[in-house]
Amino acid sequence: MENFKDKLYHYQAPPPEGAWNKISAGLDDQKVIKIPGLRSKSKFLFYGMTAAASLIIILISTFLFNRNKEIKPVAEVPVVKTDNLASQKEKDSIELNKQILETIIQTPPDKKLLASNFKKPKKYLTIAGPEGQPVKISTKAATLIVSADDEYPPKPVWNKKIEKWKQIMLSSTTSPTATNLVDILQLASSND
Amino acid sequence: MTEKSNHIPSESDLIQGCIDEDRQMQESLYNRFSSKMYGVCLRYAGNSEDANDILQEGFIKVFKNISKFRREGSFEGWVRRIFVNTAIEQFRKKVKLYNVTEVQENTIEDKELDALDLLATKDIINIVNELSPGYKAVFNLHVVEGYSHKEIADLLGITEGTSKSQLARAKGVLKKFIETRLNKTSK
Repeated sequence: MENFKDKLYHYQAPPPEGAWNKISAGLDDQKVIKIPGLRSKSKFLFYGMTAAASLIIILISTFLFNRNKEIKPVAEVPVVKTDNLASQKEKDSIELNKQILETIIQTPPDKKLLASNFKKPKKYLTIAGPEGQPVKISTKAATLIVSADDEYPPKPVWNKKIEKWKQIMLSSTTSPTATNLVDILQLASSND
Repeated sequence: MTEKSNHIPSESDLIQGCIDEDRQMQESLYNRFSSKMYGVCLRYAGNSEDANDILQEGFIKVFKNISKFRREGSFEGWVRRIFVNTAIEQFRKKVKLYNVTEVQENTIEDKELDALDLLATKDIINIVNELSPGYKAVFNLHVVEGYSHKEIADLLGITEGTSKSQLARAKGVLKKFIETRLNKTSK
């Protein structure tokens, strides 16, 4: 005798009428018109088109690359001469010095490098010279001097100037201030 | 009847004809398997409307994928598998099975369901169809089709534990149904 599992497994029932017509219609809806040989041809077509596209890209990029090379005049290519190199470096340094100087001058007095060490912002500072003599100096000038001692960025021209000013200032017990025109003139004449 | 209509094509010719999209061959294949597959559809579907949908979708899938049949195993088995999968897809669209914590269910021996053997196929189908969709799906897949719990878990998107407990509960419900049926008949 067949057990219930087999009975269920082999259970059959007549399908509803018109089921095949529906399936047939469903197959018609999903039918894809096949063009004989298109599948194999389309593969070659795909590879051919990819190769052609790659070739066009290579040709265009090569053409553009060569064109850029041709347009670039030889005169525009910077010729580095060893004579000019030193002057160029000096020029760059002056530009850099200007920028640093501008920054220092524009900085508010209370934010100056040395002045910021004091609780109350000071306009003038008294520093000790190499022989212990007191030298009165504006915070602005002091900042300039300090910044000249920094190793980076290198400021050869600026450092030279500062060094010169240092010597002048140290030779006098009183340092001229930016507001005092007579002192500035005196400083200028002593420099000459 | 013409000589052509009397000719019964071999399974191999039928398959080749369907690959070539010969509509007559497709109809022959439909005629050969439709009753069996409709039986499968009715076992899984909740109602005849759903069963009709599964039947239609299943045959379209068979015809679309027939070139993938490797002619190694049973062709009927391959067709049946497509129908079972289609029925499960339909089931998953409508019913959400929730994973439950695996609890030790009182396992009901298949022997306790042997009373079903005494019943006619139609009555067994009626009893099985009284099960909830989740129980019915697991019961059909495991007991009738012979799928493992791992396979059922993958098909239904549940854990093996859930599959096991669903089956145990399905058997429990079936046992009650059988008892009620037998009590009625004895009275």
